Amino acid sequence: MPGLSFDNYQRNHFLTTRGYGQPTATSTGTTIVGCKFKGGVVIAADTRATAGPIVADKNCEKLHRLAPKIWCAGAGTAADTEMVTQLIASNLELHSLHQNSQPRVITALTMLKQHLFKYQGHLGAYLIVAGVDPTGAHLLSVQAHGSTDIGQYQSLGSGSLAAMAVLESHWVPDMSKEDAMKLCADAIESGIWNDLGSGSNVDLCVMEVGKDAELYRNHLTPNVRSEKARSYKFARGTTAVLRESIRDILDVEETVITFGSASVDAMEVDA
Amino acid sequence: MNSTVASEYSSEVHSTPIEHRFNPYSDNGGTVLGIAGEDFAVLAGDTRQVVGYSINSRYEPKIFNVGDDIVMTANGFAADGAALIDKFKNQLKWYKFDHNGKKLSIKSAARYIQHLLYGKRFFPYYVSTLIAGLDEEGKGAVYSYDPVGSYEKEQCRAGGAAASLIMPFLDNQVNFKNQYVPGTDGKEKRPLRYLSLDEVLQLVKDAFSSATERHIQVGDGLEIFIVTKEGVRVEYYPLKRD
Amino acid sequence: MNGISVDINHLKKGEVNLGTSIMAVKFKDGVILGADSRTTTGSYIANRVTDKLTQIHDTIYCCRSGSAADTQAVADMVKYYLQMYASQLPFDEKPQTKIAANIFQEICYNNKDNLTAGIICAGYDKVNKGTVYSIPIGGSIHQQEYAIAGSGSTFVYGWCNENFKPEMEREECVDFIKTALAEAIKWDGSSGGVIRMVVLTEAGVERLVYYPEDYQK
Repeated sequence: MPGLSFDNYQRNHFLTTRGYGQPTATSTGTTIVGCKFKGGVVIAADTRATAGPIVADKNCEKLHRLAPKIWCAGAGTAADTEMVTQLIASNLELHSLHQNSQPRVITALTMLKQHLFKYQGHLGAYLIVAGVDPTGAHLLSVQAHGSTDIGQYQSLGSGSLAAMAVLESHWVPDMSKEDAMKLCADAIESGIWNDLGSGSNVDLCVMEVGKDAELYRNHLTPNVRSEKARSYKFARGTTAVLRESIRDILDVEETVITFGSASVDAMEVDA
Repeated sequence: MNSTVASEYSSEVHSTPIEHRFNPYSDNGGTVLGIAGEDFAVLAGDTRQVVGYSINSRYEPKIFNVGDDIVMTANGFAADGAALIDKFKNQLKWYKFDHNGKKLSIKSAARYIQHLLYGKRFFPYYVSTLIAGLDEEGKGAVYSYDPVGSYEKEQCRAGGAAASLIMPFLDNQVNFKNQYVPGTDGKEKRPLRYLSLDEVLQLVKDAFSSATERHIQVGDGLEIFIVTKEGVRVEYYPLKRD
Repeated sequence: MNGISVDINHLKKGEVNLGTSIMAVKFKDGVILGADSRTTTGSYIANRVTDKLTQIHDTIYCCRSGSAADTQAVADMVKYYLQMYASQLPFDEKPQTKIAANIFQEICYNNKDNLTAGIICAGYDKVNKGTVYSIPIGGSIHQQEYAIAGSGSTFVYGWCNENFKPEMEREECVDFIKTALAEAIKWDGSSGGVIRMVVLTEAGVERLVYYPEDYQK
């Protein structure tokens, strides 16, 4: 059966009434930004994934490819951003094959917003969608409930306020590619330092009209772990072996074939 | 194939009631740890104070030298922690006025703090409290408390946000838990020994730099209070700020 | 489900809200729509340069208030239906504003349990000239000389009632909208940013933007 399975809906609802809470999904309490520049667009993200106050992944990828030249940055429920992005990427490729033309950013955005609206906000995906297509460079955003925004610069996620503070104070019209990259990286860094939900490194993706998209994985790494003061090597045997059991999971048979003068006939293939 | 179950989804209540009551408590994160050595004790804590996803301060000390070579911390809800420590310091001052400047032993301080905490049994100080110092024999001592005053003298204890991350590490590295003498097939535990101050300091630094890696409320700085027979000394080391 | 007890004003948790000031006014040559540009999530301004004036057809526009997601979805549907409808018309004919307004009404009424959408639909067509329709939250429809809606509109009901004149000149109408929205923005915390306008006449579409320094006295 295609689509989501609601088989456990009633069981889980019953369990909730008996005091068993719903499992918590990994939320990418995140900083993501995007910024247009002269002849293209750049998006960026931090790389921390959290589960409550615990860092679940120190270097996760929040930049997703929808098409070769259309990328999006995801905030919200990690699984939702990942799955919704893969689904739309797939449909977008089929669509561009069907239409025999390059996929457009507005198409990706429309597919995303209609899918998310259908799920009434239950898919917690907050995305900044950007890319270049035959109509130029575009920067858009979608929220979980299906609303969309357009802008020269955008930020989303728990660190969006910290990032927006940087964008609002340093953005200027018609920036160069290098300036836009710097601005996005600075905005993400602001999220990394000032928002607890964001941290570790800066990922960046540049999409320029007439060029291939460039992904800068770990563009900045301002949070390299310091060396530990002590070595934690244990002497071999520190952990007791209580039981040992070795099983053969396949039988190894050995057959020895001797290649004598008699076997020459057998090897003649093109006789 | 019964992939769908009939139910009245539309009749289910979707809205969660909004609570309008004032909540007097908040969680200010941070983490602390205390280790007692043979002739010294340390109390360490990070210097970050948070609320929600925001940082209130990157340097807000929460470990204090309360006098008489006793160091104290109360981690959790910062306002309660500060109130508890202020109250204890104040009471210690009056104790000295009333008893001709007599030094308060850590044993007595520990019992007194129990009464301070239990005094608010039904509106507790929302903190995990630790004190460290030297006992009457000059040996390192660490006492730890729950929010309402239950306490215990221990070799080591972690408290606060990342306590669950640090405590197992301390069990293993200070009390050698789960470590056996090689070649004894788990029959003989690794013998206990007092750690040197240098070793303890290394463990503390590694505990905090590791907690910083995996807990979002821990970071910015590490402040270590060291109590020896010479008195109280403070050291500071920077931690990651993300 | 008991229709009377349904709380249709609630927003889903974390939903983007168009706490808005919007209006549309008939004038001599057609119709002018106006809106502020603020979009909020709680107390955060998610977008300060929003375009709440959405094109439905060549000279038919709508102002959106309520949930951003709901109103965008409904506007997209109406736009699609109207394209299908227009394609069936004779070559030189265009859809009338009332057609668009009634599609809005139909969708808002049929889905009233799931929508938080207050819409003003206005446009210019050869048959009726400028027309204004208000489709408030329950899905009713009201043809009016002018319509105001959104959270900021409550502050200017009296002023608009006192100062509206039928058959205004273009400049007079622009001033009327500008003053009303400036006042709505001043008193309503969830309205703000720039004032956007769309002038719909025989000549086509003209867009106007007024910045805070222009409309604040």
